[in-house]
Amino acid sequence: MDTFSFIVAGVMVYIAVAVFIIGMTYQIVGWFRAPKSPVRLGLFPKPRTKTGRFFKVLKDSFIFPQSYAVDKATWIFAIVFHGSLLIILLAHFRLVREFTPLVNLLGKEGMDTLSALGGKTLGIVIIFPILFYLFRRFLSPHKDLSVPEDYFLVIILIFIIAFGDHLRFFADFHVEDYREYVQSLLVFRPSYPEAIANSDARWVLSSHVMFVNIFVIYFPFSKLMHIIGTFAANKVRSD
Amino acid sequence: MESINKEALKKVLKAKINRQLLYYLDLCARCSICRDACHQYTVTKDVLYLPAYRAELIRRIYKKYYSPLGRLFPKFYEGREIDDEKLLDELFTTTYACTGCRRCMYYCPFSIDTTWILGVAKEILNAAGKGCSILEELTNASIEKGKNIDLFKDIMVDMLSETEKEVQQKTGDKNAKIPIDKEGADILYAALAGTHTILPAAAIFHEAKKDWTLSLFEAANYGYFLGDAAKAKEVADRIVDEAKKLKVKEVIITECGHAYRVMKFLYEAWAKEKLPFKVTGIVEAMSNYIDEGLIKLKPGSFKDPITYHDPCQVGRNAGFFDEPRKIMNMVAKDFREMTPRREKNWCCGGGGGLVANPEMEEFRIKTGKVKTDQIKATGATSIVSPCENCRLQLDNLNQKFDLGLDIHSLMDFVVDAMVFPGNK
Repeated sequence: MDTFSFIVAGVMVYIAVAVFIIGMTYQIVGWFRAPKSPVRLGLFPKPRTKTGRFFKVLKDSFIFPQSYAVDKATWIFAIVFHGSLLIILLAHFRLVREFTPLVNLLGKEGMDTLSALGGKTLGIVIIFPILFYLFRRFLSPHKDLSVPEDYFLVIILIFIIAFGDHLRFFADFHVEDYREYVQSLLVFRPSYPEAIANSDARWVLSSHVMFVNIFVIYFPFSKLMHIIGTFAANKVRSD
Repeated sequence: MESINKEALKKVLKAKINRQLLYYLDLCARCSICRDACHQYTVTKDVLYLPAYRAELIRRIYKKYYSPLGRLFPKFYEGREIDDEKLLDELFTTTYACTGCRRCMYYCPFSIDTTWILGVAKEILNAAGKGCSILEELTNASIEKGKNIDLFKDIMVDMLSETEKEVQQKTGDKNAKIPIDKEGADILYAALAGTHTILPAAAIFHEAKKDWTLSLFEAANYGYFLGDAAKAKEVADRIVDEAKKLKVKEVIITECGHAYRVMKFLYEAWAKEKLPFKVTGIVEAMSNYIDEGLIKLKPGSFKDPITYHDPCQVGRNAGFFDEPRKIMNMVAKDFREMTPRREKNWCCGGGGGLVANPEMEEFRIKTGKVKTDQIKATGATSIVSPCENCRLQLDNLNQKFDLGLDIHSLMDFVVDAMVFPGNK
């Protein structure tokens, strides 16, 4: 592993995971240590039962139908963005372990085809919402509302997606190669297998991992906490 | 202007930080979905009235002092000092413009309660000596009245003797009374200044054969609009203390949105005690009396096309959507609904103390356009709304835009349709 890769795709990964865990704990503990509001802040009509409230919170958090009613464009881009991101994230776990049940279902070739097609499709699909997220910030009212954090996050995501797409479309790496790299991380001896180490595209992989690390490190200190907090905050509206 | 004590302001903010506020400050993605939820932004297109921006002003202070990265790199979050004059000025404009309708909270994907954040802003502004002076004067006057109630009592008794005669005429019962200071009554009714909310309520209570007494104090609470919780509590204390003294079982708040919100949802949190009586809104009470057969309405007795405006503090913030509609459908021959309505209803533009503040008049009328268009679309010639604030604003809009509307309180609407067996 070259020095650059060893730092950003090796050491930095551990730092990122550590900061993420500590930061998330700090933020969430901070929420729960703060006293609860003495005033019930729910809006009416409220669900009558606990089960009703539970499902309303899930619906509000995953689908947020009210937002669709008032701003269709933002809602559609948000759903496409978060949906693709979630699938992409889950699909990355194939680089840790093969999804055996899926392979049994589709066969090894079928699985590879699904992975290639799905990855390519989502890799392109996710570009649209992220560009929307960027360009809307140049227009009013977002322009006056935005803070540097907003641009920073979008730009980091664009780098992650760009390098990720490069790997998907142009790099000649196989799932086994990635898996070897991930395994090396898991045993705390980060290294690239030969196929990656000898390819020029290793820079792309290292950069992809580096930007993911930056994203993960920054996550707990950013507005991205909405991914966790949305459930709690939406519950307040139904209380 | 005297210099602002920064440390004191920081303490005010710190004291207001609770779990819900942290969610609101930490989660906002600045997606601006709220922009079309706010009638003020929709009309003005000024970012200052964008709900997310209103909240962002407080968030910038919070980031500067309380977020780990914000302390290190305040620029990254546009972090601001709490005594930043420009920020406080912007905060003043946007905070005292908010009507507290909480429509943005309904549409927000994270349920961020901008009004709650602006409640914190109001506390900071008041501590900085930058609160709204008109609302402060009104608040202080209310508190003074509480201290000198004996001076006002005689005037009130005089005023009530006239109203009592009108009630007797209406009900056809010469013994109909407007009791005040009646110990042991079941109900203490908190009305508004003037007799227009006393007369119909007296007729309703009389017909329903309720043992009630009228509060010496008006329900309105300018301290709440001012956003000074200590003063707002003092204003509300007048009625709470009276209710305790008279040992009533129930306090019924007249058609006044924020007064109901204060008594029902806020007072116990301010006072850190449980109220020894039930708090009911008159809308709910009337609906119950009708269901129990205590008062009877003439079905279909109102012939003109009529619409209903959901006051934010009666609908979205208190949950009374069906009760007034039941009455509307019973009495009106041609009841026309507005779109959107119920929890999605547009604010009239007059809440949050705006109707009490002459400086806000122009802005209030301008941003009332949304409501005006909504009413026009129904083609109704009458409108009912069970909130004094809404009615004052609707009355202004009516005159300004020549809407030719008859504006009714729900109580008047009920009393006009009521059967008085004693009368003829």
